[in-house]
Amino acid sequence: MGTVFLMASKEIKNMARQRTLWTLLGVVIGLMLLGLYTGHQVYRQQKLMVDRASDQKRTEWLEQGEKHPHIAAHYGTYVFKPKTILSLFDHGLDTYTGTSVYLEAHYPHEFMFRPVQGYGGAIRFGELTAALVLQLLLPLLIIFITFQSFTKERETGTLRLLISQGVSVRSILMGKVVAFTLVGFIVLTPFFIGLYLLSGEESENQVITDVGLRTVLLFGIYALYLFVFTGFSVWVSLKSSSARNALLTLLTFWMVTGVIIPKTAANFGETLYPLPSMKAFKEGIHSDIANGMDGAGSRLEREARLKEDYLAHYGVTSLDQLPLNFEGVRMQEGEEYSNKVYDAHNDKLYARFEEQNRIGSLLAFVAPYMAVRNLSMAMAGTDWYSFNDFTAKTETYRRNLIRTMNRDMAENSRYGEFFEYKADEKLWESIEDFRYVSFTAQRALSFYRAELLALTLWVLWILFLMTIPRKIKNL
Amino acid sequence: MIQTLKILWRFEAISMFRNSFQMLLFASILLLGLYAIYYGNAIIQVQRQTIEAVGEIERDEFNEYRRSFEMTPSSTKEEQVLQIASDPAYAWHRHGYHAILPPHAYAALALGQRDVEPYYYKLTGMSLYYQLFEGELANPLKLYAGNFDLSFVLIYLFPLLVIAFTYGLYAEEKENGVLPLLNIQPIGLNKIILVRFGFYFLLITGLGILLSLIGFMVSGIGLDGLAAVLWSATLLCYLGFWFALMYALVALKRNSSLTAISAAALWLFFLIVFPAVLNSYATASHPVDSTVLTEITRRKSLENEEDLEEAKTVVLEYLETQKVYQGADSLLDQNTLAKAYAAFTALNDAHYREEVTEYQEQIRLREAWISNFRWINPAVNAQGVFNEVVETDLGTFQSFHRSIENFHRNITHFYFSRLFFGHAIAAGDYGDLPTFELSVDRGTRMNNIMKRLLELFLGVILIMGAGLLLFNRKLT
Repeated sequence: MGTVFLMASKEIKNMARQRTLWTLLGVVIGLMLLGLYTGHQVYRQQKLMVDRASDQKRTEWLEQGEKHPHIAAHYGTYVFKPKTILSLFDHGLDTYTGTSVYLEAHYPHEFMFRPVQGYGGAIRFGELTAALVLQLLLPLLIIFITFQSFTKERETGTLRLLISQGVSVRSILMGKVVAFTLVGFIVLTPFFIGLYLLSGEESENQVITDVGLRTVLLFGIYALYLFVFTGFSVWVSLKSSSARNALLTLLTFWMVTGVIIPKTAANFGETLYPLPSMKAFKEGIHSDIANGMDGAGSRLEREARLKEDYLAHYGVTSLDQLPLNFEGVRMQEGEEYSNKVYDAHNDKLYARFEEQNRIGSLLAFVAPYMAVRNLSMAMAGTDWYSFNDFTAKTETYRRNLIRTMNRDMAENSRYGEFFEYKADEKLWESIEDFRYVSFTAQRALSFYRAELLALTLWVLWILFLMTIPRKIKNL
Repeated sequence: MIQTLKILWRFEAISMFRNSFQMLLFASILLLGLYAIYYGNAIIQVQRQTIEAVGEIERDEFNEYRRSFEMTPSSTKEEQVLQIASDPAYAWHRHGYHAILPPHAYAALALGQRDVEPYYYKLTGMSLYYQLFEGELANPLKLYAGNFDLSFVLIYLFPLLVIAFTYGLYAEEKENGVLPLLNIQPIGLNKIILVRFGFYFLLITGLGILLSLIGFMVSGIGLDGLAAVLWSATLLCYLGFWFALMYALVALKRNSSLTAISAAALWLFFLIVFPAVLNSYATASHPVDSTVLTEITRRKSLENEEDLEEAKTVVLEYLETQKVYQGADSLLDQNTLAKAYAAFTALNDAHYREEVTEYQEQIRLREAWISNFRWINPAVNAQGVFNEVVETDLGTFQSFHRSIENFHRNITHFYFSRLFFGHAIAAGDYGDLPTFELSVDRGTRMNNIMKRLLELFLGVILIMGAGLLLFNRKLT
């Protein structure tokens, strides 16, 4: 073990003397800080806009005046997607998911206004976030400092000297990996402490409540990624006959796993599991609502059945004899049925999304970048599952709102009357303001088992690689 | 000279064939290019089918209306159809038109914003903005990853080919000990290096042009010669930029590893870091607030549908703003409620025009700021020109939106003029239905493309010049 640290300290001393390395490290840290700064700016602007708009919509809902509950249900309200505090570290899909939704009777509307709309083609080159720097730039820096770690020793003959003095190849290898990983940690540790402190500054109305845990997990994920990349690079350097070959291998690996695989995975997913068009998707829903799913009968048939049931239940012969307004009951029943249809279609659509995304997840076994990209988004609360959770919670809120309106109409108005009945602020106030809190970090991770397994296997593989070399060819 | 060129290129070809890494890379990129063409076409094919389908829906709908005039209705349903066909009080919000932005013949090669911006809209005389903000279904992770189209292969992957083939052209000769031999040749080292660069330039641009030609042919919807020429010119300039850059890097005469990693760093800078920094900064410095627009989509209607007086006030308020309907107020008592709804939605649109304009202005400013920096980065610039040539850029979609506003104005006028003056829609009127026309300022577009091409070209000349100076300076 002593030799490992001796080797490591030698490597660190060696690195400390390289001016270029310091400059590059400076650039990487500078970019991370810049990413964090712009991320923070965007977070604050967005929070301001969302808070202002939400307050305004809440006021509008409360002050809509006296009206029939069903008109109020159509007047509806809006929900705006708040940014998570950790989005300042990793924007994830925020640019590509909608930001607001209209909650109204009968229709679960789609989210509108993906920020990417209206941004122009340049946005497709990506945005600078600290996560991007850690996922793509830091590995390149690692390649830069490691590719000749063995080849140089070989070329200058020091490797032969070391081996002849009884130092094992394994100690040299481990020493180097420890040294280079330490350099990475010098970047990571203060950065994540800073990130945590910065997140702590913004504590009001947070979407994620376990920022501390998520930051620690993020740190863990990136630390493992760093270790994997360092270990792999040093190993490639050990196995390569020349510095140039080591570099070519590493650059190819970096390019293929960091740039080509992410894009092809997503595109293959789309080719293999195509999505329906919005038009076809909506037509399917409308047709199922009108004609019924699984032999439930058409809307008219379903309504006739409901009417019969109610008349029989209350032992009366006509709807106006019922102790409640049947219109309210009929509307709510229609609402429940549409919800069922929407859920069925949405489940199918989401399953499609997951099939598309699974290809990328599985490729994490080949490309550690994929594992880290997905896990990082998940921890920042900017991945697809987090968005999905948000949409699901807004939909629950909408259903409760509509149900409350329909119940009020059934209980308080008379059959055959519409404009005669008006509800007031008391009813509007009975709908609580919407406040979104995301699921926990553990739940977020539970969607990414493949990625977690892949990252673990990568770590184990690197550890394994470090234990095998006993002899070395072409000294 | 020709003889020397032949010899040099022949040996270059031999050494290339022996380099398994280079051959593998070349083959991979060829295959990826073919896949990209396939992928782009698959996407555009689906869009063409969707466009075909919505066109058919519209034709069927209007044919049904036309037919309803020719026969006497025998059922309630047929009566309803005739009513919708002839009574403007129904027709204005029932007749569905489609505004369509058909893909350019070569759109498959650079999909641009066609995956995030809707390319067709169904429009009725109802509130325009209410109908404008629905998106298409999309997997956000897919949008985030971007499209694997030919332009991606050309912009992102071809530079790697350039780097891999040229980074060692000087340094490897030195490292292999061939340099002294080359130095004593009568032709001069710089010329030899240039000739070898020329070989790879022909090879790689040849591959790029070949893939583009395949792409043009596969798209199969006619030939757009001008677009093909502009596309190819952009490709030549962009690859020229990378060759010039590599030449300048090689002229620094560092060892092959340092040259390779510097080239990788430059690739990273132009393709990822620089655009990413700009995008992030633009988002932070030019925030676009869409929250103000949400209100537009709210379903609203008259406060009390049974209050005729309120309905009349709304109609009068609207007529006051519309000179073309002067005199229509005397017919206020006919069809009041239908008129009130029409007036209500039109007033609503007018009411929100300011917010929409402000939102569009925010977008315009952000885009203008970003394009200030476009010339510095040939990668973003070339990608932009590709998209502009095949009409998948933001500008095209903005023209589309402006054309939709005109179209909607024509639609509402067609129905409102009949509704407010109490005329029924006659069978003959179906010959003058409003039609969608996409108005694009082709002159400005073309000027812009030429300006961008010139920027790219000047960049190449500049860097090449710098490279030549560097090479010669180092030689002495």
